[in-house]
Amino acid sequence: MNKRSLNEKQLGYVMVAPALLLVIVVILWPVAQSFYNSLFDYRLNDPSRSERFLQSNIDLERYANDFFYLSRDLDGLSEQAPDPDASEKVSEIGSELMGFHEELLAMDGVGEQYEIVEERIASFQAIADRDLKYSQVDNDFAESYKDFLTAAEADLTALVEASDDEEFSTAASNVAGSINSTNAAVIESNFIGLSNYGRYLQNPRMWQSLMNTTVFTVISVGAELVLGLLIALLINRVFIGRGIVRASVLIPWAIPTAVAAMMWGFLYDGQTGIVAHYFEQFGLINDASVLLSTASGGMFSIIFADVWKTTPYMALLLLAGLQTIPNTLYEAADVDGASKWQQFWKITLPLLKSAILVALLFRTLDAFRVFDLIFVLTGGGPANSTESISIYAYITLFSQQNFGAGSVLSVIVFLCVAIISIIFIKFVGSDLFAGRSGR
Amino acid sequence: MNKRAGIGFYIFLVVFVFFVMFPFIWVFLTSIKPPGEIFSNFRWFTSNPSLQSYENALTNRPLARYIMNSFVVSSLTTIIAVAIASVAAYALTRLPIKFKGLIFGVVLASSMFPQIAIISPIYNFITDAGLRNSYLGLVIPYITFSLPIAIWILATFFQKIPWELEESAKLDGATPFQTFRKIIFPLAAPGVFTTAILVFIGAWNEYLFALTINTEDTWRTVPVGISFYQSQFTIPWGDISAATVLVTIPIVILVLIFQRRIVSGLTSGSVKE
Repeated sequence: MNKRSLNEKQLGYVMVAPALLLVIVVILWPVAQSFYNSLFDYRLNDPSRSERFLQSNIDLERYANDFFYLSRDLDGLSEQAPDPDASEKVSEIGSELMGFHEELLAMDGVGEQYEIVEERIASFQAIADRDLKYSQVDNDFAESYKDFLTAAEADLTALVEASDDEEFSTAASNVAGSINSTNAAVIESNFIGLSNYGRYLQNPRMWQSLMNTTVFTVISVGAELVLGLLIALLINRVFIGRGIVRASVLIPWAIPTAVAAMMWGFLYDGQTGIVAHYFEQFGLINDASVLLSTASGGMFSIIFADVWKTTPYMALLLLAGLQTIPNTLYEAADVDGASKWQQFWKITLPLLKSAILVALLFRTLDAFRVFDLIFVLTGGGPANSTESISIYAYITLFSQQNFGAGSVLSVIVFLCVAIISIIFIKFVGSDLFAGRSGR
Repeated sequence: MNKRAGIGFYIFLVVFVFFVMFPFIWVFLTSIKPPGEIFSNFRWFTSNPSLQSYENALTNRPLARYIMNSFVVSSLTTIIAVAIASVAAYALTRLPIKFKGLIFGVVLASSMFPQIAIISPIYNFITDAGLRNSYLGLVIPYITFSLPIAIWILATFFQKIPWELEESAKLDGATPFQTFRKIIFPLAAPGVFTTAILVFIGAWNEYLFALTINTEDTWRTVPVGISFYQSQFTIPWGDISAATVLVTIPIVILVLIFQRRIVSGLTSGSVKE
């Protein structure tokens, strides 16, 4: 028996392993990566920040390419110089440059790596391997190399401005250009720690989007709970046509949110929208275009569409909860002379509490991460007045290609969701796990 | 449950169903109007119905291709997620392993993670792996929300299967794996099927990953494809209505056939029985 239970145990671990591994690889690891990314000035559209560097680095591909031209042109330039002072200045820059270059190549392994990269460049091959392309260098070295290159560029520009010799000026400004380019190949660490967080905590657009998300979540989930409970109470009885009601309630839930958002976009449209038209006719709004072109109209529109899409789902969850309440309780209450109102407060609500809390938890989390409904219906507009925090994060990440700052916003969403979950689970915790972990 | 339904109740029911279905009714009525009529008046019924919008919807944009993309991605996601989840859920509910509470906690927490929090690393990963604009490029991120949900729902279903059957199988000398295959799986099949439907609908409806990862028009899924029907200058409401009707029909059929299962799956995680 002992051996058998050991086998079962081992089998159990083997069976859980693939799922657990996947959860770690595709969920937990990416979340950790988001945290890590948020600590860098990391932008996909800027070559010197398109990687995360804890340490200073040299982009050898770029460096080798630029250095080849730079050293050649510098030699030529000192001969062209119109006066001895300028010539001396140029050769001074040249020898200092060689000094830095040799110091670089003398570093551990950099020399060999540089040779391989040079060969690749000579045969016009692009370098995809990051380990080959970038070489880590000492922070102090990178800093002094960059300082030197910046100063050299300034010196050359000064020479260009002082000189009357046109040929020399052109050559010198070319060299200044390659110095600038070489400078960009020396990449200092883009680790900025928590300063992105500091920036966003003072960013009014971030607070506005967080506020929008909260308003959306509280109003729509609140309305869905009240309406859902009403509907559940009303249809918790025997009647003909349960199937039709159930199906009609499930369809809004089952269609893609983006499709629902397109539909509502049509219904709200200022010119052709029937809902906007009727609202205007009934005097609810003074102009049909109000729904999608004003801040409050936009917020109303997304909340209304969300309530339409998810109230039925809420009603179903609560109905399932209602059906577990034994009828005998109500019969006993009737005998004792309790009114319907008293029965609702003393029997229905307390017994429905855990079903309500679970439904609220899932709905609140869903509403807080709202993305597709707003993205398709209003795009966050007008003037960011319906922009949720997820939309702001998406725009920063993918429209601005700013992965560092965008990750800060994603981490903020993550933390908010975590806080909401912890608060709810404090209330529901035991109910949610009850009877699930077996014996 | 003893309450009887009166006339007033049925009137309420009709009004309720009408309000819930109104957007669909209106979109359907719009889709059969000749495109010119949509912008001119608010009449409900057109006197000369036309299928012009349907033709436009299918030819102006590769709608059939979107539907196929969604179908392939959702099916692959469902198969992978449900297969891995059913094995894991069995071990978690039936076998004597340690840290069950912790594992359930991790699974539940993962299902609550906002997608925006993982999208940038996933995007980098998919790009580096060369999987942008492919089916696999969406299936991998879709595992992130389908696997935890599948484990969660399946665990509820497995929990309801009586232990006695398993005990007697054990006494008869069956190995744990045989027990799973011969006893548990047939009994759990309805639950597995229900879970599969819910995972499929979830994957079919996903928007954020599909929007960022498959950016080429031929690789778009239905939700993303539909949201791109509007161009910068005009919004072809006729095409959009027709496309909406076309992509909603399969869901309506799915819901009509499997409504009981869907409801049992949705409520299984939230109600103690």
